[in-house]
This record gives sequence, C-alpha cells and structure tokens, in this order.
Amino acid sequence: MTASPGVANGEIVLSVDDVSLRLSGNLILDGVTFNVRDRIRVGTVTGQVVGLLGPSGVGKTRLFRIIAGLDSPDRGAITGIKSGELPAGTVGVVFQDYPLLRHRTVLSNLVLAGTIGGLEAGASRARAAKLLASFGLAERGDYYPARLSGGQRQRAAIAQQLMVPRPLLLLDEPFSGLDPAALDDVMKLIVEVANLDELNTIVVVTHDIRSAMTVSDTLFLLGRNRKEGKAVPGARIQETYDMVELGLAYRTNLQSAPEFVELERAIKAKFREL
Amino acid sequence: MAATSQPRAQPKVSRGSKILRAFQPNRAVDGFTWSILVGFWIATAWVVWMSLPFKSLPTPSELWSALGSLWWEHGMGPEMFSTLKLITHATVLTVAISLALSYATVIPFLRPLVEGLSKLRFLGLTGLVFPFTLVTGGGYTLKVALLTFGMASFFITSMAQVVVEIPRSEFDHMRVLGAKEGRILWEVVIRGTLDRALDVLRQNVAMGWAMITMVEGISRAEGGIGALILNQNKHFRLAEVYAILLVILVLGLVMDYAMGVLTNVLCPYSRLGRVER
Repeated sequence: MTASPGVANGEIVLSVDDVSLRLSGNLILDGVTFNVRDRIRVGTVTGQVVGLLGPSGVGKTRLFRIIAGLDSPDRGAITGIKSGELPAGTVGVVFQDYPLLRHRTVLSNLVLAGTIGGLEAGASRARAAKLLASFGLAERGDYYPARLSGGQRQRAAIAQQLMVPRPLLLLDEPFSGLDPAALDDVMKLIVEVANLDELNTIVVVTHDIRSAMTVSDTLFLLGRNRKEGKAVPGARIQETYDMVELGLAYRTNLQSAPEFVELERAIKAKFREL
Repeated sequence: MAATSQPRAQPKVSRGSKILRAFQPNRAVDGFTWSILVGFWIATAWVVWMSLPFKSLPTPSELWSALGSLWWEHGMGPEMFSTLKLITHATVLTVAISLALSYATVIPFLRPLVEGLSKLRFLGLTGLVFPFTLVTGGGYTLKVALLTFGMASFFITSMAQVVVEIPRSEFDHMRVLGAKEGRILWEVVIRGTLDRALDVLRQNVAMGWAMITMVEGISRAEGGIGALILNQNKHFRLAEVYAILLVILVLGLVMDYAMGVLTNVLCPYSRLGRVER
C-alpha cells in the first residue's frame, strides 16, 4: 500500500494477523489479516482513523472484542506498536451502549478511569475536569449517567477512555442512532482525538458506509466469501480502500465530491455480497 | 405571502379530566389527584369499618381504649423495644450472611453451594424449632437464629439473582479500563448493585416483620409484641389483639419508609432510571 504525495507510511501501529474464531462449532472469523500504518504528514500531527465496515451479523463485534483483548482468537495474533501485545486494559474501548458506571457521577467515572490507569487522585481529578471541559460536559460533571442525553453519554464515554493515554481506541458503532448534527459532531470528534498524537489510531467498527468513508484514511471491508451464490462461513477482509491514495482523505466537503459518491455506491453494492 | 405561525394554545386540562385519568390504564396522575385517591380509599375503609355487622371487629373508640390499656398496664413500650431489637439483630446478621454468599456467586466454585442454600427457603420455620433449639440453647438466640434463617434464605435467592443478572458489558467496561478483578468485584458487583440490594432488603425486612409473631411465640418468656398478641388472643381480648396488629402495621410501615429514605440517600441515582407512565 503506497501513500499519496505529501503523506508517507510509517511504522505499523496495529497488526491483525490470520485471526480465526469459532463459536459453538460455527466459523465466525477465518484468517482476518490487516495492518494499520502510521500516516505521516509533514508539518502536522496526524493520527490514523481506520474504518472496519461490514454488514450486521458478519462478525465485526467478535473481531472488535478480540482486538480489545476481551476474547482470544482460536488462531492468529493481534499486536500493536513495535509488535507489542494488546491485553485488555491497554486498548481504549467505547462500546455501542457507551457504558459508564451508573452509581458514579460523570466526573467520578473519569476520575476512576484515571486512578485505575495509575494517576494520583488529584492529577486524575484535574485531567477529568479538563477533558470534560473540552468535550462540552463541564456543566455535567455532577450528573449521574442516567441524566445525560445519548450524545453526552457518548462524549463522556470517549472522554473516560482518554483519561489515560492509549495509542489505540476502538469505537463500536459510534454513528448509530444519531441525528445529522450529532453525526457531524461525532465525526469531527473522532478526527480531533486521532490527531492528538501521531501514533493515535482509532478503529471505527460500523455498518455506516458514508460516515466511515468520511472519517477514515483506510477502510477494510469485512465479509464472507461466496460460493455458487451462497455465503461461505468465516468472515475475512474482502477489500481494502486506501482513502489517502484515492484522494478521499484530509479534505473538507468530502461527501459532495463525485468520486466519494461513486465509491460509496460501489461499497454499497459490495455489501450485498458480503 | 410569508406564512406566519402562532404557537398553538394548549387546551387547559380540567381537574375533572385529570381525575378521570385515574380510571384509565397506563396513566400517570399528578400529586393532587393522588391525594384525592388516597383520601377516598381511607374514607371508604373507615365507612366500611363503621358499618360492618361483625361483632369481632372493635369500634375505633374500643381500639383507642385498648391501645391505652396495653401501653399503661401491659407494658407495650418495652415489648416493642424487645421486638425491634430482635428484628434489628436478625436483619444485621441476614445482611452480612446473605450479601457475602450472594457476592460469592462470582466464584464458580461457590455457586452450587449458594444455589443449594437458597433452596432452603422452602423448609419453613416450624419444623426447624427443635433442631435450632438444640444448636442455640433456646431463648433469644433461638429467635434470632430462626428469624435470620427465614429472612436470609429469601434474601440470598433474590440477591444471587441480582448478581447473576449483571450484564457482561459492565465487567467488560471495567476490564478495558485496566481494572483488576478485585476492583471489578467492588465497583460492579458490590457498589453497582447496592440500590437493588437495598430494595431486596426492604422486602426481606417486611417478610421478617411478618414472621415476628410466630418467632416470638416460640419463647414467650422473652416478651415482645408477638408474645403480647398471643397472650391477648388466648384471653379473647379482641380489641387488644387488633390494637397490637395496628401497632405492628404502623411500625412495619415506618421501617419500610425508613428503608426507602435510606435507599434515596445512599443511591440517589436509583430513581433516575424509573419511567413515569
């Protein structure tokens, strides 16, 4: 995979190598393999946003859980920067329901994440307050999670994961159920978080093609092979789209570009076969 | 021509319409309507009581007189204290034993033991008096043991179910933050279910309170309002019996209310998830 002019590919920040998983005798993932490389743009701090697209039920969440370190594959390995292992706790994860401890306030949820991650109580509190302010939740620090709107809860859950710097952050269906304004905000937030550090990598697992195309610099399409019109068990990476090479990354007003629309149409057509 | 829109005036809902909602399913009513409903049923109960033909039911004045007699002549005050001491002692033991066992269900090795213990709720207390007497030596300790057994067997059943039903996502959430299993046990299992534990406790205290009469009847020398009611029953002093029942009811309601206040103080978030229909 070559990069476009002005963008170089650096070291591997995430490697998924031949990951397979069987559940109750059914093959769910079959040799999933892909690498994510550091995108280097001179003069800017550019993290990576990777979209993992696939239709519902194909095994995205299972792969998500394996990358997060919550489940083990039957075969294969997941490694991070400099081939380091990624056990649970080293990868930031925001699940689809934006979990927060309901018996703690928003601020307390973030402070807890900081102290678990090794911060002193005072430093954790200060960092939590700063993050809440930058996420527009400064006035909500004393709220319990049940009082937050869906969008606020999502931002609080992301902020919680940022309490302790982790180069890899996984988001499960972050675009689900959002209105257009909130969707724009989330997409902007994802890119901002990614660009906080050169080695930051956000993996967005979703079936929302348009939003994934908008935020990602690389798209992987997860799906099953077809044989005589029938799906063969075991999902794997079917297509890879280097959005930088296609000229569809780091641009404004991307969604109205003809090449964007054309690619979206092509991916949608592929979805039916996955 | 530009369209102008005036905000639509909201029709005023009459008091009568609000009260009519009380007769429709799945409706919420306001505070005023609720007061009307409660007042109506209290008044209805009073009228029924006054007009019932049964001689076994005392009149309000007879009840009041019996209360006075019990308080000044039969020492109902100390008996109430004795009973409250018993229920408090049994509740503390129930909470300690039941919570420890319920939380222990996170360890697979202990799960069959806890499930087996929860099945003991079918035993009933009467048949256990003799074996418990042999173990405890009788008296106050016997009553505490019986009451604790009765309450704990139901508490364990309910609380173990609460722990089992904690969604896996809550454990996953703590694991991805990097928490160790002990921390997860504290935050997700213990603190995370505190409001439900208090709800279960509230129900079990009510169950234990309902068992008080039977338990205190086993060793009447120790006193208590359970023993008092049995003595009055023996002498067919029905007004006194009903007066003591009223006291048992009021004390039970006060304890229940106190438990509710405790839950709201310790777990203010627990009200937030409730939906008003």
